[in-house]
Amino acid sequence: MNLKTARVLAGVYHLAMLYFVTWPGILPFAKSEPLVLGLPFTMAWIAAWIAGSVVVLALLDRIEKKYRTTDGGDA
Amino acid sequence: MEQWVVVTIIITAYLGLTLTIGLLAGRKQSDSVAGYVAADRSFGLLVMYFVTGASVFSAFAFLGGPGWAYSRGAAAFYILAYGALGMAPFYWIGPRVAKLGRRHGYVTQAQLITGRFPSRNLSGLIALLSLIAFVPYVTLQMRGAGIVIEAVTDGNVPIWLGSAVAYGIVIAYVLSAGAMAVGWTNTFQGIFMVVIAWSLGLYLPNALYGGIGEMFTQIVAERPELLDPPGLTATGEPWSWGAYSTFILVSAVGLMMWPHLFMKAFTAKDDDTLRRTVILFPTFQLFLIPVFLIGFSGVLFPGSPPSSDFILPFMILETELPALVVGLFCAGALSASMSTGDALLHASASVVVEDGVQQFVDLDERSQRRLMQGLVLLTGATAYIFAQDPDSSLVLLLASAYGIIAQFAPPVVAALYWRRATTSGVIAGLIAGAATAFIFWQNPQFKPFDMHEGIVGLLVHIPVLVIVSLATEPQSDEHLDTFFE
Repeated sequence: MNLKTARVLAGVYHLAMLYFVTWPGILPFAKSEPLVLGLPFTMAWIAAWIAGSVVVLALLDRIEKKYRTTDGGDA
Repeated sequence: MEQWVVVTIIITAYLGLTLTIGLLAGRKQSDSVAGYVAADRSFGLLVMYFVTGASVFSAFAFLGGPGWAYSRGAAAFYILAYGALGMAPFYWIGPRVAKLGRRHGYVTQAQLITGRFPSRNLSGLIALLSLIAFVPYVTLQMRGAGIVIEAVTDGNVPIWLGSAVAYGIVIAYVLSAGAMAVGWTNTFQGIFMVVIAWSLGLYLPNALYGGIGEMFTQIVAERPELLDPPGLTATGEPWSWGAYSTFILVSAVGLMMWPHLFMKAFTAKDDDTLRRTVILFPTFQLFLIPVFLIGFSGVLFPGSPPSSDFILPFMILETELPALVVGLFCAGALSASMSTGDALLHASASVVVEDGVQQFVDLDERSQRRLMQGLVLLTGATAYIFAQDPDSSLVLLLASAYGIIAQFAPPVVAALYWRRATTSGVIAGLIAGAATAFIFWQNPQFKPFDMHEGIVGLLVHIPVLVIVSLATEPQSDEHLDTFFE
């Protein structure tokens, strides 16, 4: 994947996160049950988006690094 | 030996260790302003990670977080949501800010903004707004430290003494060693906080209810309204989605604009370190989960603390944990308070001198450092006086402080990304935005959709910035080229 696409996708992920943890995106997921890993559903929903954010940014970092070493300049 | 004596011994040992680390750290740093403010731009990943994490997690997260979970239920989830959102943009902005910092020698946020938009008044305005936002924040940390110490020593060490001792130590190492001390003590305190929070957060639900799922099943059965998003207001009414969503938004926008966090971009060794810090930051955010679990464990517990912010010390004392655990918890809560308080004191002095005073009076490096140290003392003393007032409405002040801080976002983004922005546009926007936030904070009944006043401020701020910029003379290409490649 090229750097530009990767950056755009990471940006899109965080915009989607913003949409799905606030009104109105959160409404279908705003409930206390079923419990997920013992946590109320909404709490687990938000925690999952945070965990996803770590994964997305880590992948982006790997791609950035590859590009920096190939063309030498920083982005 | 009585429990409170054991606890006091543990706290004393912990404070002594913090002081030692703080004082030793300073010996490695140069005597310059870049040394005191930006630690000679030398922080590696481990220190950056904990500096950022531990500065964000303050007494508000450690005491206020469980307090919200306990009294307002699902409303507390907003605190969980905003951190990752607020930090992510820094992945792009951070390295850019750091690069301009290295090129132009910036050590504060206002220097970056006024480097692009030259104006002494703008610089002074930013310094003033920062200070207005800082004092209540420091006060809250001090009061938090005092409350914890008073609670776990059965009142033998009152608030005035506890906060004085804890912050006497903070001021000692901030004065002598600046950014380097803040970095290394935060690393130590950050590790401490994470360990304490996870162990207690997993222990309490298990000990009291037989498991986390079991605890929530019981809460859903007995207090279903509490876990029904977006939770409750302070008075127990259902909270509005407008308020919940804009609290997330204003906190996310404001988070990295806090001068004490933004300035960290200038302390990183290189861009990779900065980017890694951002990537790892959400892992720190997950540390709120055990903190909330501690608060939720108090919901069905018989008896209640004097106020919801006391739920953490209350649970620790009521469940009759060994004195050693109480002492360690107390040290963890002090870590949360002190690791934010030190960064705040350090940043407020740096900002007032560099961006306020220095703009109007020319000082040499030595006098600048002296003046910063004097201001650390003065800010600390002011906050200390406020912290003694039991009725101070500082939590309200802090909420509006976020409204002010969020107004720094448009100038920063304009400085980095919009060539057509002008000095007049930025000043007009900042004044309009801050004034709007202030008016709606004073008159909450007029807020549209129950929105946070900081967001209403931004809705006025951004159009004013754009319109005034377009109506005024563009900046010269020569000047712009030093900011854009």
